[in-house]
Amino acid sequence: MAGIWIFAENREQTLELLNAGRNLAQDFKAKVVTFALNVHLAEEYINHGSDEVLLLPLLGQDQSLESYVPVIAEVARQEDPDVFFIGGTQRGREIAARVAARLNTGLCGGCTGYKVDQKNKLLLMNRMILGGAAVQTVVCTTRPQMAVIPPRTFEQAPLMEGRQGKVIELPAAQPSAVKVINRTPKVQESVDLTEAKIIVSVGRGMEKKEDLSLALELAGVLGGEVGCSRPVAEELHWLPEERYMGISGKKVKPDLYIGLGVSGQIQHITGIRDSKIIFGINRDENAPIFEAADYGIVGDLYEVVPKLIKELKVLLKK
Amino acid sequence: MSEDKFAAIIVGAGPAGSTAAYLLAREGLEVLLIEKGATPGSKNMFGGRMYSHALNRIIPNFWEYAPVERPVAREIITFLNGGHGVSIDCQNLNWVKPPYHSFTLLRAEFDDWLASKAEEEGAMLACGIRVDDLLFDKGRVVGIRAGEDEMLADVIIAADGVNSIVAQKAGLAKMFLPHQVATGVKQVIKLSPETISQRFGLDGNNGAAQLFVGDCTEGMQGGGFLYTNKSTLSLGLVIKASELQKTKYKISDLIEDFKDNPQVKPLVEGGEVVEYSAHLVPEAGLEMMPQLCGDGILVAGDAAGFVLNLGFIVRGMDFAIASGEAAAKAVMAARKNKNFTRQGLSLYVQLLKQDFILRDLEAYRKGPDFLGNRRMFKEYPQLVTELASKVFTVDGTPPVHLLGKILSQVKESRVGPFQLAGDSWKGARLL
Amino acid sequence: MLNIIACFKWVVDEADVKIDAKSRALLMERVGYKISDYDRNAIEEAVRLQEQHGGNVVAATVGPSTAKQCLKDALSRGPERADFINDPSFVDLEPEQTAAILATAIKAKEEYDLIICGEGSSDLYAQQVGPALAERLGIPCATCVNKLTLAESKKEIIAERKLDDGMEVVSMPLPALVTVLPDINTPRIPTLKQVLGAAKKPVDNITLNDLGQTYKPCLQTTGILAATMERRRLKFGADEKNILVIIGALLKEGVIA
Ligand SMILES: Cc1cc2nc3c(=O)[nH]c(=O)nc-3n(C[C@H](O)[C@H](O)[C@H](O)COP(=O)(O)OP(=O)(O)OC[C@H]3O[C@@H](n4cnc5c(N)ncnc54)[C@H](O)[C@@H]3O)c2cc1C
Ligand SMILES: Cc1cc2nc3c(=O)[nH]c(=O)nc-3n(C[C@H](O)[C@H](O)[C@H](O)COP(=O)(O)OP(=O)(O)OC[C@H]3O[C@@H](n4cnc5c(N)ncnc54)[C@H](O)[C@@H]3O)c2cc1C
Ligand SMILES: Nc1ncnc2c1ncn2[C@@H]1O[C@H](COP(=O)(O)O)[C@@H](O)[C@H]1O
Repeated sequence: MAGIWIFAENREQTLELLNAGRNLAQDFKAKVVTFALNVHLAEEYINHGSDEVLLLPLLGQDQSLESYVPVIAEVARQEDPDVFFIGGTQRGREIAARVAARLNTGLCGGCTGYKVDQKNKLLLMNRMILGGAAVQTVVCTTRPQMAVIPPRTFEQAPLMEGRQGKVIELPAAQPSAVKVINRTPKVQESVDLTEAKIIVSVGRGMEKKEDLSLALELAGVLGGEVGCSRPVAEELHWLPEERYMGISGKKVKPDLYIGLGVSGQIQHITGIRDSKIIFGINRDENAPIFEAADYGIVGDLYEVVPKLIKELKVLLKK
Repeated sequence: MSEDKFAAIIVGAGPAGSTAAYLLAREGLEVLLIEKGATPGSKNMFGGRMYSHALNRIIPNFWEYAPVERPVAREIITFLNGGHGVSIDCQNLNWVKPPYHSFTLLRAEFDDWLASKAEEEGAMLACGIRVDDLLFDKGRVVGIRAGEDEMLADVIIAADGVNSIVAQKAGLAKMFLPHQVATGVKQVIKLSPETISQRFGLDGNNGAAQLFVGDCTEGMQGGGFLYTNKSTLSLGLVIKASELQKTKYKISDLIEDFKDNPQVKPLVEGGEVVEYSAHLVPEAGLEMMPQLCGDGILVAGDAAGFVLNLGFIVRGMDFAIASGEAAAKAVMAARKNKNFTRQGLSLYVQLLKQDFILRDLEAYRKGPDFLGNRRMFKEYPQLVTELASKVFTVDGTPPVHLLGKILSQVKESRVGPFQLAGDSWKGARLL
Repeated sequence: MLNIIACFKWVVDEADVKIDAKSRALLMERVGYKISDYDRNAIEEAVRLQEQHGGNVVAATVGPSTAKQCLKDALSRGPERADFINDPSFVDLEPEQTAAILATAIKAKEEYDLIICGEGSSDLYAQQVGPALAERLGIPCATCVNKLTLAESKKEIIAERKLDDGMEVVSMPLPALVTVLPDINTPRIPTLKQVLGAAKKPVDNITLNDLGQTYKPCLQTTGILAATMERRRLKFGADEKNILVIIGALLKEGVIA
């Protein structure tokens, strides 16, 4: 069956990967094969460019998505795909690593883009290393060439008219030894940081949760949103995880990013690199944020931010 | 080693501490060397120049093993004033033959190496640990405390650098006052080895040391330095802290201005700053020296104020190493006599007096006074550069005899001939 | 009783990596090394579970033979013993190689109930070694864990996972592998006695020879290019005048209105 294979845990990401898959299919003169969780999605994927769909069996109540690993690996072993892209959610990353291990092949984790070597049918895949300080290009010398592709790396594939495709049902999975005993779905955040024009970012330089009001007020005056560094979300739990930026968080590109007590370590900077203007406030004059910023104020955020708000209110007449 | 008791605990894995630890461990003593940085040297100033003699005495031909950068073949002193610069340039090829006179080096690697030598001899090295306090028994120092942990030893060596906590806790020293210290800043600037050799006119891996007086400190007491490493330059300023405090200048801005100085710019141009650091330099010379030993404790290196700061030249590494050596010898003697009191350790002070350390510091004893003289850092550089410009300027005006030029220049400058005579007398005595 | 293996990696401190703006090469000459950030959480979690339930903790690392320094650091954080799986050629390993090497060594010499890895390494952040190792050992695994409890039966581990779509609590029969998130615990800072104690703890030196096979990477690196950023890097003081200057500049840039 060979081909360009795609697996992602949700519809949006599958469509994104389909877009890349369609282009690759031409380069490789191969078909696009997509995994789907139900018949409805299977049809949709075909309509968005998949040539074939592998329909995954239903899972038991106590099974997590990761228990598809043996099924996915087994069919890949039989069919020998050329390329296998997996959507970079947390579950996707685990599945990719385990499938690659089973297939004894190379996996480019966090593949941010690639070029195609047409002649050798090889992907020159990019991945970030050292917290985003550099981009490394790798090629996979075994089959399939596997990569984990982060969400929103590609646009979603458009709907195509009158497409036909084959749907193949995969055999039932052996129940995994990992049993789910509880699930708490996440309440979806209403704010999408990636859309914000102005982001006020809170770092560990903020002393207590109540002081977030300073950031909120500044964001309010500017008409922006409040985001944060990873420890503020993950260790202090002051803001939801969707609000942190960086290599493992959101990649944003606002017109203006203002960092309040953010040290500016590379893992964070990697997420804000594409901001038009970066403005950092930090009391340590050697903080790395100043290397990454257009404008920096060396000072205590508790002194600077109130003054900044005051002046902005006057100047912006708010 | 009885539980938690060492023959010696040495606080600080700089050149002073590692040397002492190396020598004591080599004698088979149970030695603990404690360093607050994640690795030795990680918190120390990068770059600079070390005179070889002290270390060569301890580890002969150390340059064959140690991570040194370049042997210094060329010494330059440059006086800066406005767009003018006058340099005194001295080259001596004997300096770059064994035993090399001095080496440029990078502290993070060098300190790490020296500490690893001590470890090889069996010293215990504990990094990432800060000593917070001393333990006393009937007024005698018997151990250290770091966080929750206490550790005992026959003797403690305070080698924890400028503003030594350990010497202060022992009651041997006080916190430095701003007029007793200088602030140093340094940038390490990356350039290719070939570019460096070419810009400084150096043969192969030979190095240069260039010192600057004048504009770079805005007339404040201090100076600038530039050392060539293999593939980086160490560029920095040292300025008296009390003077800096009184001005609006930030030392971080001054170093940027320094880099833009027409005398400096072509040397550093195109280089990438790969490291930035700031540190204090003790500088009041003998006047501020702490007591060098107490009951159960010795103070070595910067902690003891063993630094010679002539404003534009800072010399401390060889003192640190030699004082670490003296401390180790004193500890061995004290062990023999089973007497770790101040009396029992007093060989330390004797050795320092016999050695070059106290001699050299004594010789420059009046240094701080002389250097406190603003004329040194403002008017004289101006005088020298203007004089030289006059001597070398040919513009069709009638020629004047050299002596006439000098005299007229002295008259024009804000320094009177008497002051000049007085200062040069003081200066000559000093140098 | 729990026998736990905590896997840690000795990595370049990325804050020390400098970039040559022109060639976009990484300047790695004077970098320091450290235990990969999140592996400190892995070691800490192993030690906490051991303190609670008894048993022992082994810290295991794969790296070049020169990485010795890491052992003292790791052992000062609590494990009783270390496996130092080393060879001069073990530099810049691909995660799949690391997982394979760990798997050989662990199979050959360790009896274990639980393996704990970090969420991802600070240098590669591939998030791959943990799950790949579980596959090679044929044991169940759970990634992104922010809470671990041993079940009453002591035969299962209960792991709370923090995922994109919410929380998921799973139970797995032992032996099993987990990868842990940084918010699972706050790693202890080793004390002087712990640092000194670490020097006396046993280290098993496992060499390529002992492993008895070679490990080829499936991924070949064809290039590395540093990420550079054109920024103005203007630094100001904190007084009103400066604030006004910056606001003026932001208005002129048109990024605020
Ligand atoms: C594999 C890996 C992935 C990671 N991914 C991410 C990621 O995606 N996103 C992310 O953000 N981080 C990430 N990190 C963590 C990252 O390395 C840093 O630890 C983190 O970004 C630091 O957050 P911070 O700046 O809030 O805190 P800190 O580094 O603690 O900095 C606090 C700063 O506040 C300043 N400050 C303190 N008080 C004041 C005051 N009163 N006024 C002004 N300034 C003050 C301090 O000078 C300091 O610079 C990752 C780490 C690893 C190892
Ligand atoms: C800008 C500048 C330029 C210089 N240039 C030169 C030069 O070119 N040539 C020259 O010979 N000298 C130079 N010096 C001076 C030289 O650096 C010092 O004299 C020398 O480093 C002294 O060595 P030391 O071992 O006494 O102290 P340090 O090198 O300061 O070492 C002290 C060590 O103790 C550690 N420590 C401190 N407190 C504690 C604690 N409580 N617990 C545990 N560990 C602790 C520190 O981390 C450090 O590693 C320069 C100094 C400066 C600031
Ligand atoms: N060289 C190594 N030695 C031991 N454990 C490792 C090594 N590399 C990675 N790991 C473990 O695998 C985890 C994930 O690494 P990575 O797949 O590189 O992101 C790390 O947090 C470690 O726990």
